[in-house]
Amino acid sequence: DSLLGEVLVVELNTAEPWPENATLYQPLREDQILLSDCASSLAVQAYLRMCGLPVRVCCRANAEYMSPSGKVPFIHVGNQVVSELGPIVQFTKAKGHSLSDGLDDVQRAEMKAYMELVNNMLLTAELYIQWCDDTTSSEITRPRYSSPYSWPLNHILAYQKQWEVRRKMNAIGWAGKTLEQVYEDVSQCCQALSQRLGTQPYFFNKQPTELDALVFGHLFTILTTRLTSDELSEKIKSYSNLLSFCRRIEQTYFEEQDRDVKITIKEKL
Amino acid sequence: KQSKAYAKFAGAPLKVHKITNPWRSPTGILPALKTREEGSFSQPSKIIIQLRKQKYNADYDLSAKECADTLAFVSLLEEKLLPALIYTHWVDAKNYVDVTRRWYAENIPFPLNFLLPNRIHGRQLERLRLVRGDPTLEPGEQLEKELYHDALECMTLLSQRLGSQKFFFGDSPSSLDAYVFGHLAPLLKIKLPNGKLQQHLNSLDNLRQFCTNILVLYFPSESREAPAKKVSNHADGGDFDNEPHKRRNQILSVLFAVGAMLGYAFLSGIITIKHTPARLEEPHVDEEEEEED
Repeated sequence: DSLLGEVLVVELNTAEPWPENATLYQPLREDQILLSDCASSLAVQAYLRMCGLPVRVCCRANAEYMSPSGKVPFIHVGNQVVSELGPIVQFTKAKGHSLSDGLDDVQRAEMKAYMELVNNMLLTAELYIQWCDDTTSSEITRPRYSSPYSWPLNHILAYQKQWEVRRKMNAIGWAGKTLEQVYEDVSQCCQALSQRLGTQPYFFNKQPTELDALVFGHLFTILTTRLTSDELSEKIKSYSNLLSFCRRIEQTYFEEQDRDVKITIKEKL
Repeated sequence: KQSKAYAKFAGAPLKVHKITNPWRSPTGILPALKTREEGSFSQPSKIIIQLRKQKYNADYDLSAKECADTLAFVSLLEEKLLPALIYTHWVDAKNYVDVTRRWYAENIPFPLNFLLPNRIHGRQLERLRLVRGDPTLEPGEQLEKELYHDALECMTLLSQRLGSQKFFFGDSPSSLDAYVFGHLAPLLKIKLPNGKLQQHLNSLDNLRQFCTNILVLYFPSESREAPAKKVSNHADGGDFDNEPHKRRNQILSVLFAVGAMLGYAFLSGIITIKHTPARLEEPHVDEEEEEED
């Protein structure tokens, strides 16, 4: 769906500026949202904050069903609805906001490749751990996923989703992996990210790009989410530059921005 | 595709068994790598890891950043290019019927030649449906447009990353070169009725040159046959399909073999010196390969 969606979005939205009431929809934060969705949502939020585009976060139990592609998060801007980081980046670009304009061809190719690495390894690993590991699935994922619904719908929806994800894992060859192997894949991915980041503040030196937003979304979420074991977050913690990277983005784009907003509000009062 | 070139690049002593019957493969699917010690592997990336464990490593000279880049670009290839390649060979109606299925029918023993292609065709379509989350997906213009858009962008990105260099990381080939070659070479050499991907690849001069370069350097026997094909084409005045079966099958079998497993070769010198003592003790590595994706 992405190609046609992109074309449509570009054609309809070049003129309008970013409105004040742009909204981002995700599942309920406390009880419902899962690791993978939280990571994707945080990545989009980070990206929009890096672009300086204000957005309100709205939690809805049926966010997944509201989304045009069935994936969360999605943003509602003006009269357009766009879901997932890739199309959202295209959308904001059409409105004249971009983080990767300053990159040359080689850097842009690398940026896209690393984004695919995150999607290919980190996101898939998150989905695997959530839905294919029996312990996690029964203790955390299914209860959370089905929490807004009453019996018997909650069971039906949760098992249906689990079956869907497991079939997909099978199709891409992940079904045969053990949890240990998945942790190892995450480790390899983090090692690659850590090596690429090196001692720079962001992946392409001084300015963050959508890659930084995506990596932050996933790493920060893994670090701050309680799972059945700490092994996943331990893998990330072993790379100190990744830790400081997450801290830096959290401070610059979340804590400071929110503090500035509070100050502005106080001043107005 | 990846493993054979990797092995060649790394100078690994591999015996290539060309078999056309996947049931004879140790893992039941192809390509497969069988080592004396650790059993059999099938995924190209696992095969490369295994070869590396056995110390045939063509990424020895790469910096940490370059190794990370390799992982990233491999992900890019697998996410953006591979689905389109599979589509163009196995799902696209015209290509599948005219080229892929016909080749299988002629080259694989009965009764597999009837069962196997359709099974793979069905399975690849099913896989596309699952990955894209749409159970009603049908091969057609819409799907083709989306897949090819991603693939064309991927090829352009590869071309930009390669620039004017000979290989992706300078003057020596590495596993990334093997991966890219493995994916692009069949596209260059096998003429398909629906050839949009080929057209785009041909328009990217440096990528095309890159593939031809590797073909000439590391697979000289196979590249020699390609010009022969062209000559006979002119002589017959016919197109690809009118060629006598034998030559086409030769070329296709070679290309599918190449396409099925690539690896990477290390230019001699460094790695031979390092590994001569090891080779005496290392188990002999048997590799069986064919095309199956």
